[in-house]
Amino acid sequence: MKTTSGKPEDTRALAAFTELTRDGIERRTTEELDQGLNVLLARVAAGRSSPRRGIVRWSLMGGVVAVCALVGLQVSTGSHKHSQVLEPSVLAYQIEGGSVIEGGYLRESGHAGIKLLFNEGSQFVFLPGTRGRLRSVAPKGARVAIEHGKASFQVTPSTDRRWLVEAGPFLITVKGTVFTVAWDPSSERFELSLRHGRVEVSGPVSGGDIVLRAGQQLVVNLAKAETLIMEEKPEETVVESVGAATSRAIIPSALRAPLMRDKPALPSPSGAPVPATVAKLEGEHRWTDELASGHWDHILEEVERTGIKAALDKASSEDLFALADAARYRRRMDLAREALLAERRRFPGSPRALDALFLLGRVAESGERGATRAIAWYDDYLSRAPAGAYAAEALGRKMTLTSESGGSEEARPLAEEYLRRFPKGSYAGSARALQRAP
Amino acid sequence: MPTRRSHVPLSLVVGGNRRAASDGDLARGLTAGEAWAIAETWHRFAPMVLAMAERALGSKSEADDLGQEVLYCVFRKIGTLREPDSLRSFVYSVAVRALKSELRRKRLSGWLSFHPPDALVDLGSRTMDVESRDLLRKCHTLLDRLAPRDRLVFILRRMESMTVEEIAAAMDLSLSTVKRSMIHASSRLSRWIDADPGLAGLLEEGRCRR
Repeated sequence: MKTTSGKPEDTRALAAFTELTRDGIERRTTEELDQGLNVLLARVAAGRSSPRRGIVRWSLMGGVVAVCALVGLQVSTGSHKHSQVLEPSVLAYQIEGGSVIEGGYLRESGHAGIKLLFNEGSQFVFLPGTRGRLRSVAPKGARVAIEHGKASFQVTPSTDRRWLVEAGPFLITVKGTVFTVAWDPSSERFELSLRHGRVEVSGPVSGGDIVLRAGQQLVVNLAKAETLIMEEKPEETVVESVGAATSRAIIPSALRAPLMRDKPALPSPSGAPVPATVAKLEGEHRWTDELASGHWDHILEEVERTGIKAALDKASSEDLFALADAARYRRRMDLAREALLAERRRFPGSPRALDALFLLGRVAESGERGATRAIAWYDDYLSRAPAGAYAAEALGRKMTLTSESGGSEEARPLAEEYLRRFPKGSYAGSARALQRAP
Repeated sequence: MPTRRSHVPLSLVVGGNRRAASDGDLARGLTAGEAWAIAETWHRFAPMVLAMAERALGSKSEADDLGQEVLYCVFRKIGTLREPDSLRSFVYSVAVRALKSELRRKRLSGWLSFHPPDALVDLGSRTMDVESRDLLRKCHTLLDRLAPRDRLVFILRRMESMTVEEIAAAMDLSLSTVKRSMIHASSRLSRWIDADPGLAGLLEEGRCRR
C-alpha cells in the first residue's frame, strides 16, 4: 500500500477516501472470469467469421456502420480515440424453437416458444403462442416487437447498447435489466413486470414517459383508460403461460397494492391518452438532494425547526427515507425509527415502505436488547420481499444475530439457507464458518 | 465409419506450463492468433483491467463492458506492438486510453442529460454493509465531479500505485502535467470532503465494516 502521508493535501479523510474507493471492490471469481473469457472468445470468433464456423447458426449483423454513427458531439469532445478504440462489438444472435422469416416475423417451429440468444449474453424468450417480429439487429442493440402474447427479456447491462421493445403502441427502452412484457391487442391491455434494473416506457399515456424500478409492475388498459403501477412480489413475475398472466393481472392483492390509479380523462376511446406519470408519486425531493450533498444536519435542523410531527406527516416518501438516512448517519436512531414507521404508515404500497422494513431492523439492532426486534423486522422484510434489494443483507443479519444470541447450532439452518440463496453474498464467509462450527 | 476432420488450424504450441509463458511469448502467440494466448492474456490481464475500470467508473457492469473492449482492442491491435516484452504496458495504455474516453463520454452525457447521472448504480455483491455501500457511493459521487484527466491520474496514482512516469507514458502527458493533475485532484477532493462534514466524519471514523 502506498503511503499517503507527508503531503499537504493528504488529510486523514482523503487517505480514508482513497482506501475505501481502492478496496471497495471485490476480485472477480474464477467463474466470472471464465464467463468473461467466453464472451470475448465468441466475439473474437464472430470478428473472424468464416464459412467453417457456419456450423453454429450465428447470424452476424452489422458492425461497420457504428463508426459513422460516432460523429458530432463526441468528436468535438475528443472522443475520436474512443470511436477507434471502443467501437461497439458485433452483435450476433441464435434462435431456438423457431426462425426469422421475411419481414423479421418470428415463426415458432414447435409449441415451446422461441428463444433469441445474443452473443453478449442477452436473452429474449417468447412464450408459446406469442407473435412478434425481430425489427432490427445492429451493433448498438436490437429492436423487437410483440404483436400478441408475452415475452421475457434478460438484457446484459451495457453503456454502448440500446435495446427497444415494442408492444402494441408502447415502446420500452432498456439498458440492462430483466423484465416481462405482455400485450393483448384485443383487450388493448399492456403489462410490464420489472424484476431487475430500470426501463422507460413511452406510449399513449399523458405526462411523458414512465420510468419503472425493479419490483414494479405497470398495467395499462387503453380501453378503460387506466394506468396502474404496482409493487410486485418478485416470484410472481415469473409467469409460465399467457393465460396465467392475464388472469393474474386482474386479481387484486394486498401485496400488490396500487401506487397510483388515475381516472381516465376521457371515457374511453381506444388509444386515448391515459393520464399518468410516475413523477406525481414522488412529490418533492428536497431532502433527497440534501442527503446526496452530505447536508445531513440541514435536514435534521429543518425537521427540528418545523417540528418532527409535522415533518413526518407532510414529507414525501423519498424525503421521509432521506430523513431516516440522515438520522441514522447522525445516530439519531429514535428519529430514524419514527421516519421509517411514518414511511410504512403513510406509503404502505411504495417500494420505500419495503426498504423501511429492513432499515427498521438495522435501527433496532443499535438499541439495547434489539436483536429480537431486529430479527422480527428482517423476517417481515424477507417474507414480503424474498428477492428484494436487501434480502441478502436481511438474511445475513438475521443469521449473525441468531448466532450471537442462540449459538451456531441455532444459526446453522440460516447459514445453509443463506449459502443456497446467496452463495457469493457478503455473509457467505460467515455462513461457511457457521457450517463448519462444532 | 467416416473420420471427421478437425477445422482447427495448426498452430505452434508453447511447451510446458502456459501460465509460465513470458509476456513476450504471449504477445507472439497473440500475433499468431493462437487460442491459448487469448485465454492466457485474458486470465493474466483482465483482473487488473477490470479492477482499475471498476475503481475509475464505480460500476461493476460498466467495468465488465470496458474490460471486454480493452482486451478485444488489444487482440486487434497486437500487430502494432513493436516490443513483445512490453505487452503489459501495452495493455495498460489501451486500458487507460479507453478509460479516459469513457470518463469523457460519461461527463458529456451527464451535461447533456436532463436527468442527473446515477452514481455507482451497480455495486455488485460487495462484502460491505449498507452504510459502507452508501459511503462508497458518496465517494464515487465526489470522483464524478473531477475532470476526467484529474480523476484518472488520481486513480492511477493513488489506487493503482503507478508511478508518475508510468502515468505520463500511459496517458501521453508530461511529467509536470501529471503532477499538477494529481495535486489538483487531491486538493479538490480534500476540499469537497471537508465541506461535507458527514462524509468527513464517517471517513475519519473508519466506519466501513469489511
